Amino acid sequence: MTQTIIWTIAILTVLGALLAVVLYVVAEKFKVEEDPRIDEVEKVLPGANCGGCGQAGCRAFAQFCVESSPNLDKCFCPVGGNDGMQKVAAVLGVEVAAKEPQVAVVRCNGTCENRPRTNEYGGYQSCRVKAALYSGDTGCSFGCLGCGDCVAACQFGAISMDPATGLPVVDEEKCTACGACVKACPKAIIELRNKGRRNMRVFVSCVNKDKGAVARKACKAACIGCGKCAKVCPFEAITVENNVAYIDFTKCKLCKKCVAECPTGAIHAVNFPVIKPKPEAPAAPKPAETPAAETVNKEA
Amino acid sequence: MMKTFSIGGIHPSDSKISKDCKIEVLPVPSKVYISVAQHLGAPATPIVKAGDQVKVGQVIAEPSGFISAYVHSSVSGTVKSVGPRKDLAGNNMTHIEIDVEGDEWIEEADLSDTLVTAIPEDNKAILEKIKMCGVVGLGGATFPAHVKLCPPPGKKADCLILNGAECEPYLTSDYRIMLERSKEIVVGAAIMKQVLGGCPAVIGIEENKPEAIKAMAAAVAELQRSAKGYEGISVMTLKKKYPQGGEKQLIDAVMGRQVKSMGLPIDVGAVVQNVATSLAVYEAVQKNIPLVTNVMTITGDCLPMEKQHNYKFRIGMPLSYIAEYAGGIPEKAAKIISGGPMMGKAIANMDATTVKGSSSLLYLTAEQTVRGVESACIRCGKCAEACPMGLEPFLLNKYARNNMMDELEENAIQDCIECGCCLYSCPANIPLLDIIRIAKGDVIRIIRGRTAKK
Repeated sequence: MTQTIIWTIAILTVLGALLAVVLYVVAEKFKVEEDPRIDEVEKVLPGANCGGCGQAGCRAFAQFCVESSPNLDKCFCPVGGNDGMQKVAAVLGVEVAAKEPQVAVVRCNGTCENRPRTNEYGGYQSCRVKAALYSGDTGCSFGCLGCGDCVAACQFGAISMDPATGLPVVDEEKCTACGACVKACPKAIIELRNKGRRNMRVFVSCVNKDKGAVARKACKAACIGCGKCAKVCPFEAITVENNVAYIDFTKCKLCKKCVAECPTGAIHAVNFPVIKPKPEAPAAPKPAETPAAETVNKEA
Repeated sequence: MMKTFSIGGIHPSDSKISKDCKIEVLPVPSKVYISVAQHLGAPATPIVKAGDQVKVGQVIAEPSGFISAYVHSSVSGTVKSVGPRKDLAGNNMTHIEIDVEGDEWIEEADLSDTLVTAIPEDNKAILEKIKMCGVVGLGGATFPAHVKLCPPPGKKADCLILNGAECEPYLTSDYRIMLERSKEIVVGAAIMKQVLGGCPAVIGIEENKPEAIKAMAAAVAELQRSAKGYEGISVMTLKKKYPQGGEKQLIDAVMGRQVKSMGLPIDVGAVVQNVATSLAVYEAVQKNIPLVTNVMTITGDCLPMEKQHNYKFRIGMPLSYIAEYAGGIPEKAAKIISGGPMMGKAIANMDATTVKGSSSLLYLTAEQTVRGVESACIRCGKCAEACPMGLEPFLLNKYARNNMMDELEENAIQDCIECGCCLYSCPANIPLLDIIRIAKGDVIRIIRGRTAKK
């Protein structure tokens, strides 16, 4: 009995020692040389693996950063933001220029009220499927389809559908500007725009390329491409192309002149402090509280 | 024993309610809007401008690529405008608006009823005529007919198959033309068979249309007796099964040959044309009449018998005008479909106009169109049994939802013909076709990108 135990222990010990040697030799022989900095960079990354940086995941991004060091101009992790990039730069011992933080902006204001439904969609609830079948259940063939592909694409829970309007709402606190929703939207309504000074932004909330009369008929809040905003803009930030205006966020100085000029209220100014109605503006700006604490200052 | 295709297929009720309604000619409205995208491939380029006078049959748009087709005016009058207008899916497309004045045809058109049986000898001239008359496949895909009739070098057609299956429920337009224009269809078949180098021609008709089989067989026999160039044409009765009218399924049924994945029918020596296309070829070659008319069915279970119609329409007629003329849209109709109930498209915009390939206005009730609540896949395999291409839709659905492109390609998603058999047979109401169609587009784009790179 005792002998059996002793033999067992002896055999297993010898076997273990032998295999340890084999493993050691194999590990030495097939060792993969890897820059230890990749691990260090990966540690300071958020680990969301969202792909917002353009790489396959956080590990791939860390490798990309190390490879492109010392010039990190092409590397940007939208989730970590500028702070995160500073940490990466510190690990690599290089300098990185701060980037303007961005946020996803939904450029459609085709609420149930503004954009009456012209037919009923009974198919599978997916924007991609719906867009492949037809132009949508309203007269506007450019606007939001309302099936929530962007909501499903967001890993951070930053987009939700507002049941009252049927449009997606971006939670600016949670949005990391990874761009997943931009890719998911088959109508290319969502755009990444600079967050702007104190989160204040002015943008055209419409992408309808139809001629003015057609667009207006389909949706009360459509951009009709009249060009009044472009004329009034002192900074040449607004261009009108294909019957729709676009505000270049790098040029816009937030003067809000265009907002007052727009005849359909398609230009939205958000997060501006609410000011009391002035006598020359009879239609008092209505601050509409959305779940995302977004203050819409619309002057129709 | 009657032949049919070997794998999959379903048996929906054929509901050919309007089969005994004779073809009536729709009067021309005061205005037509003719789309420049009435065929598969690149939209045609308009060559008329506002103020131009046009006659019926005059070219108003030219092809803008190899796979494209001429578009002709279907009315005589003045061009009012050329600009965007919404098609039946609500998307913008260039339309040519024409104010109708009288009904003056181009001089070369022969509008008499006499049957011209003598087939011209010059094949090149025939092909040119088919091309110039804007003939496209009228079985659904509207693929330019002249392209299909010129096999690429090194390939030879062994058989011309005329598709008279009309396997979609409700539709009766092909059935009616087989009854009323049988001889013209046979002449068209003889012309196409001559162009293809004298291969035999088979007219495939499903067993549920015995009168059409009889009429076509009689027309073939009579023409073979009285004129030259009609030998080798025969009528084949096919066992009823959906989607018999699919190109690959029909080749399998008639010739017993299978087209390879991503292959073309000509690879196995087959050319398939619809019977309506054959009629259009006859009119183009023998009568110099461009393709500006076609036959459509107005039908539906909620439509009383007296309102069921088969209409000969001209391209560019607003659908709302046709619906109005046919007696209005029934109150119970919840969904209006252009095409058959299996593969047709729901109409989002009744102001859209007819195109060469329009085949029906089908009124479906709410009960017929409502989708059941989706539940989990129970792996019963009904979809795999029904798929006529031998695919496994339940698997493709799973891969597609997870964006697994390599696996989708390995499982031949690119071979899907979008017939809808899987969706029809699924007891769990999984939107198989919707999901597979989107993923199929992605995979085909990847495959094309890869071959383009090489």
